[in-house]
Amino acid sequence: MNAAIDNHWYPVAMISGIDAPRETLLLGKKISLGREDGTCWVLDASGAELPTVERFGHLWTSPGQPNRDLFTIPEADSPGRRLVDVGSVKVKCSPLRAVENFLDIAHFPFVHTDILGAEPHTEVDRYDVKIREEVDEVWATKVKFYQPQAAKSAAGGITTEYMYRVPAPTCSVLYKTCPPRPGEWDVITLFVQPLTEEWCEVWPWMALYDDESTMSEMVSFQQLIFMQDRSILENQLPRKLPLDPGMEVPTQADMTSVAYRRWLKKIGYTYGAQLVAA
Amino acid sequence: MILYDYVLSASCYKVRLMAALLGTPLTLRAVNFHPGREHKSPEMLALNPKGTLPILQDRDTVLTDSADILRRLTADHPEWQNTDDDRWLAFASDLNDSLGLARLHDVIGYEADIDKARAAGVSALRKLEAHLTEQRFDGLIFLTGSNPTIADIACFPNTALAPDGGVTLDPYPSIRLWMRAIRSLPGFIEMPGIHRLHELAHPA
Amino acid sequence: MDWVAVGLKEDVPPGMVIPSRISDTELALWCTPSGRYHAWSDRCPHRGMRLSHGFVRGDTLACIYHGWQYNEAGSCEYIPAHPKLTPPDTICVPTYACAEAGGVIWVSLAGTDMPLPVLGGRVPIRSLQISLSAPDLAAHFGAHSFTTIAVVSDHEALLAVQPCTDRTCMVHALAAPDADRKVVSRWLEDLRATLEGVPS
Repeated sequence: MNAAIDNHWYPVAMISGIDAPRETLLLGKKISLGREDGTCWVLDASGAELPTVERFGHLWTSPGQPNRDLFTIPEADSPGRRLVDVGSVKVKCSPLRAVENFLDIAHFPFVHTDILGAEPHTEVDRYDVKIREEVDEVWATKVKFYQPQAAKSAAGGITTEYMYRVPAPTCSVLYKTCPPRPGEWDVITLFVQPLTEEWCEVWPWMALYDDESTMSEMVSFQQLIFMQDRSILENQLPRKLPLDPGMEVPTQADMTSVAYRRWLKKIGYTYGAQLVAA
Repeated sequence: MILYDYVLSASCYKVRLMAALLGTPLTLRAVNFHPGREHKSPEMLALNPKGTLPILQDRDTVLTDSADILRRLTADHPEWQNTDDDRWLAFASDLNDSLGLARLHDVIGYEADIDKARAAGVSALRKLEAHLTEQRFDGLIFLTGSNPTIADIACFPNTALAPDGGVTLDPYPSIRLWMRAIRSLPGFIEMPGIHRLHELAHPA
Repeated sequence: MDWVAVGLKEDVPPGMVIPSRISDTELALWCTPSGRYHAWSDRCPHRGMRLSHGFVRGDTLACIYHGWQYNEAGSCEYIPAHPKLTPPDTICVPTYACAEAGGVIWVSLAGTDMPLPVLGGRVPIRSLQISLSAPDLAAHFGAHSFTTIAVVSDHEALLAVQPCTDRTCMVHALAAPDADRKVVSRWLEDLRATLEGVPS
């Protein structure tokens, strides 16, 4: 047992997708889950009941004793938003690599070409990053990037503004310029279930203002984006995320990732991390 | 023409790619295959009782087999057809049952005997590599000759996406060159897992 | 250390990058537009992405993840996220000795003064993977060293063997210039089936 790892909440299922009881892995250990009379349950390998939270369309659990409630996203509760269950994709990489990639914008022109980015608009301007000690979260703000098609609802190229938030080691929330509603933020999340240190299940979820697209179109758009990332994530060496400086070379565009790695080290979150340069 | 489409489906991509190469416009209807299982919804089953994608609707005609759809799209483009296509369309179906299944298993958790699916995939890739190597000896880059046909378009997606299912393409130089030739075709479009040739872009 | 064959020239035309490996060392093997071959560690120093997934643009190899471009010496010379920045010399990819001779691309991981293997006027036919370790393959032919194995009785074939994993190797086959390439290719398929113990 390692409290720094076990005492977090982890996503393990999309609530609307739970029909029959099933088994999955959490932090390398077998768990089972299901739903009875509208309430979800999770058991560990010995059959002991684990705590649960149902939030953001997903079922969350913890193998330890979480010392705080699962984070909230107040913006997602505002009326008029459409809540999108994107489903899950399994990836052979560290859960931390999956989160770090989500925090990165410099790859847009090369991995999400003509959608989230395009040459020659590759420059990443300086933005603000800090670890907000009072909530123990990583935040990046004033992130701006030119995007040919920022969302399913975007008609053409726009400079999009982003805010990134890491409220838990394997979760990230992105707030993004909302094309049909200037002044509001679309909410796009990446909830990552650590199956093992080098294998994860990724559950994107969104709360968007979009009165035009069908639900299937919004799901398709986000799956398209994430599957473009998957072919990167499965080909990074090593599979675990190096936390010590020296093994990889960050630049100014990588300030969010640098803060994320530093924060993981500070809170002792080493699951899926490589600590000594191999 | 309306294509009922799933963005991550290799078989739907065959249709999108063929239409793009021909310059034939398609109206895409996104179907929530995963996680929504919308292809099994009453509306979709009314259109295609098999409950599969892709589905191509052209006025009163509904086609649900990707090989039939490729033939129909190229009906007025004889340069995209060859007498040898049939065996490769059958082979494309083998690729879907092996590499395609391994991919669905690894990506969205489909039930499969994964070792068996991957072994069958490797065996199919070796056959493809042997054939393409002999084609190269004759100075030909595509499956049935010096020009691409529906045979190439049918076999390309599941081959190129093999790594998604844990099957490496590293040992197949002739397959690599063939895939590159397809990616170089004017009008080529990508799908997640198959990226475009960035070397062709020249930033300002 | 010996030169090891890692691919055939015809399979890596100018402007192309491919993945290769010598045992545990993973390689990005690429050819400049003007035909010079390079073998590098298959890892971008920035975020660990395999460079063999990247693309050749001009005389540089670019990483597919963030487009970082590396010149022929392996030094980073362009970072698209910071177009005005001159990258420091410290950002570079480990490179290995690489040479093309007789239509075969050879790599020496440790660097070597040894001459490239003598191919006796044979020409390249094809490369194929065999599910057998390189030493086991060499043992089958009674060869002491597995780098190049001459099989004179069949098509005057020469097999240049590339160790990959404990259970696989790549074989780069050459044969007499007048050999029928399809015949040799099919002989190789049969040889593989025999070696792997699978009926062809």
